Amino acid sequence: MRRIARLLTGTALAVAAAALTAAPAHGGGTGSLDVYPSSVVPGGSVSVNTTACGADGAAAGDASAVGAGQFTLAPSSHEGNAIGQFRVPPSAQPGTYEIVARCSGGGREVRGDLVVTLTSVRPAHPRGSVKTGVGGALGPDPVQTAAGVAALAVAAAGGTWLLHRRARGDGI
Amino acid sequence: MRRYGNTAMAAVTAVALCAGAWLLRDGTTSHAPPQPSAAEAHADPAAGRPAAPALPPSPPDRIRIPAIRVDAPLTGLGLTPTGSLEVPPAGRPDLAGWYEAGTTPGERGTAIVAGHVDNAEGPAVFYGLGALRRGGTIEVDRRDGSVAVFTVDAVEVYQAKNFPDEKVYGPARRPELRVITCGGGYSRATGYQGNVVVFAHLTGSR
Repeated sequence: MRRIARLLTGTALAVAAAALTAAPAHGGGTGSLDVYPSSVVPGGSVSVNTTACGADGAAAGDASAVGAGQFTLAPSSHEGNAIGQFRVPPSAQPGTYEIVARCSGGGREVRGDLVVTLTSVRPAHPRGSVKTGVGGALGPDPVQTAAGVAALAVAAAGGTWLLHRRARGDGI
Repeated sequence: MRRYGNTAMAAVTAVALCAGAWLLRDGTTSHAPPQPSAAEAHADPAAGRPAAPALPPSPPDRIRIPAIRVDAPLTGLGLTPTGSLEVPPAGRPDLAGWYEAGTTPGERGTAIVAGHVDNAEGPAVFYGLGALRRGGTIEVDRRDGSVAVFTVDAVEVYQAKNFPDEKVYGPARRPELRVITCGGGYSRATGYQGNVVVFAHLTGSR
């Protein structure tokens, strides 16, 4: 079992756990392995994805560091992502483990960290209302107003033409 | 022949006159976003469709709400320094967001999605959210290729002054979803007074 780096002791673990959230271990983009959630309790399931293998690229995943063995990252319909899942064994010890994925073919390798904690870390939830509008829908609609003015201009031109014809006695 | 020309011109003129009058009248009146009626508020929690089993965690990529013609990509959102939920960039009115540090939609717990009702230019992605009804469907495309299907339990309006944080954001024992936008009346001085919040729970997946 290849466990990497920082085996956290009790106190350090508590501090790290408090700071951790379920946010991705890497901020997306190419060349990294996203791990969701980045912090998990033993027995929990984990989803990893990467865009490093290109469109339709599969990859071989290695979660043996945390005792979950090999798994497959299959190509998905979403923007060239290869996606795989594995379950952390219930016997896993707290710590930070490196998850590795190797693209099939090219052999490119990407890595992401997974933190195992004994108590599940519940991230803070948001507070208060959300500022999702400024009232821009409430004013007059400039496009519709312009279209209205244009239509009235057409009506005025048509009316003028008809009156002109009538004045000339063209019979209308 | 000339008579036909005159008739056609008279018809065009009449149509243009009516269309112009309607466009001007409609274009210069205000268009407040729809707000939910009291009938869409929370009912008996035992009512409604039973919950589907939770899905493994997977980040969402897209949200679809067919009843109000929403089909929008999702971006990750964090928290502002005051602890409120961030919002998608105002320059991208077609974009919705999800609270990235929280529950992923379909997983057990409360997943949170937010989007603008409007920006300075006009209506945005969740303009019609207040028109959604109980029993409506919300679909979330997830990165693992699955689609989480939620059924609307309630559509509520809450004032910002008295926002029920626990009810909206608090943990849930089943997979639930909140979809949030601005609403609850508008004042020129302080903007929208609160939020429209859609409560939904997972009822299927594919």
